[in-house]
Amino acid sequence: MEDIGIIALFLFVLFLLLGSGVWIGLALLGVAFVGMELFTTRPVGDVMITTVWTHSSSWTLAALPLFIWMGEVLYRTRLSEDMFKGLAPWLAKLPGGLIHTNIVGCTVFAAVSGSSAATLTTVGKMSIPELRKRNYPEKVVIGTLAGAATLGLMIPPSLTLIVYGVTINESITKLFIAGIVPGIVLAAMFMAYVAIYSKVSKDYHPDEEPDMSFADKVKNSRFLIPVFCLIAVVIGSMYLGFATATEAAAFGVIGALILAASQGSLSWKTFLESLMGATRTSAMIALILAGASFLSLAMGFTGLPRGLANLIADMNLSRFELLMALLVFYIVLGCFLDGISSVVLTMAVVEPMIRQAGIDLLWFGIFIVVVVEMAQITPPIGFNLFVLQGMTRHEMGFIARCAIPMFMIMVLMVFVLIWFPEIATWLPDNMRQGPG
Amino acid sequence: MVFLAKLRAGLDRLYLAAGALGALFLIAILSLIVLQMLARWTGEVFPGAAEYVGYCMAAASFFAFAHTLQRGAHIRVSMLLNVVPAGMRRAMEIWCFAIGTALGWYFVWYAVKFVYWSWKFKDISQGQDMTLLWMPQTGMVIGAVILAISLTDFLIHMVFTGRHRIVHETVESHAE
Repeated sequence: MEDIGIIALFLFVLFLLLGSGVWIGLALLGVAFVGMELFTTRPVGDVMITTVWTHSSSWTLAALPLFIWMGEVLYRTRLSEDMFKGLAPWLAKLPGGLIHTNIVGCTVFAAVSGSSAATLTTVGKMSIPELRKRNYPEKVVIGTLAGAATLGLMIPPSLTLIVYGVTINESITKLFIAGIVPGIVLAAMFMAYVAIYSKVSKDYHPDEEPDMSFADKVKNSRFLIPVFCLIAVVIGSMYLGFATATEAAAFGVIGALILAASQGSLSWKTFLESLMGATRTSAMIALILAGASFLSLAMGFTGLPRGLANLIADMNLSRFELLMALLVFYIVLGCFLDGISSVVLTMAVVEPMIRQAGIDLLWFGIFIVVVVEMAQITPPIGFNLFVLQGMTRHEMGFIARCAIPMFMIMVLMVFVLIWFPEIATWLPDNMRQGPG
Repeated sequence: MVFLAKLRAGLDRLYLAAGALGALFLIAILSLIVLQMLARWTGEVFPGAAEYVGYCMAAASFFAFAHTLQRGAHIRVSMLLNVVPAGMRRAMEIWCFAIGTALGWYFVWYAVKFVYWSWKFKDISQGQDMTLLWMPQTGMVIGAVILAISLTDFLIHMVFTGRHRIVHETVESHAE
């Protein structure tokens, strides 16, 4: 590494800008500016504009606003009620009972939305009051919801994976397909925990559900069929190679609009709200990505990524040790930053390390998503905790404690991923190659 | 004061209008992708569709930046801001807006220069669309100017009134 003093100054500016509350996208732009001024003699402003323009005007990135829009449309439909009513009859007889509607509901909504906050509110709006009415232990209701909602980040469409793919130039479609099996495995692990907990715990005495005939069950869940069709079209079109991620996103928006219209929940007002909401969220992420694109260029000039990669190589860390170090690093980072910012901020430095260690970048995408998922439910700024606090009026500390078992399950998931990397890589290796 | 009130209303309308324009570009992205797919299925070619989508993407983002800022949807690390006493908080907010304003105008300066040269040399896209690049790039400049104006506006407001003009909506950030 060239000069420790200058690097320390550079890092200080980074923490100063981020920590003092400058908007993350602008902070990254500012840090990059300082880095370029410190480490190069190139005309900084001109390089900045060229980089930002190239990265902002991209076809791949266009998947982002469309998937956000799709989630925003469905968020404003009757899906919330339908989800509980439709799933409850099928899950009532499992050990643990209707708590499973939280997990399965989140899994299903995660497959149409890339956001865990939207997943949480959509599922929780209905399931929290219904589960309370039936005397389910509050701790489990809150905990499972907080944990399962993070699946929104992993199961495609996933905003975090789009951002990761755009940042390291990996195929979004492949990343999406890679997220499917790990997402389902994680959901299954949550469900297994609930089943075991319900048998072991003494205060788990929910009200019995009335028996229902098969015909009634089908009747109750008929409203969910369109949603499953939508999921099949969006994910299927990517898997079978009919469409790129951006095109699948367009299918998703149109499908969501048709679905909302057929339910009668698409008014001019909800259409505008969903569109403007999507525009804002996408602009927010675009600003971060613009800043990050310039920062990763500047990082290259600082020599920090190369230096760290060499350092790690010299330390002769095994892959496992490296991943453990990164696991701890991202959990700590996740206490202060949201998932998308953590990914874009660190990838310039982490990518060379990962490549040097011979770790598959597709697999690493899934690894990093599980790890930033954990950050969603860790205080002081776990985003899901805030959302749940708004919905339930519980204290932050209580919600965080409820979510601890889910956090442990996610840690376990990281080890499962390390021991069986195939659960992430098998499906994308076997998908059909599509256009572009 | 009448002038200030008018300016205030005018600026707020400007941010909203730019945001709406951004939303229109989002619809344009959707339409272009659909057209492109229709063309492919019917055996036609839609040359440069990917590039056009890219230009719309940049325009959608840049036009919406100021509106996004005003609605409090741009995320920041607010942990420290939330624990410091009010006076300190005000100073920190001013610092944030000042940094933002400086970066905003810095970006605008070089963006204008960039587009000027692109126009002067008649830069043409490398893709199949053969677009003169200054046209889509102008969208980026206008969006950046509006963002810089909004940051300046909020900075001045913060300095004189101690409150910023960012409207917080309960659960706006669906990005997480």
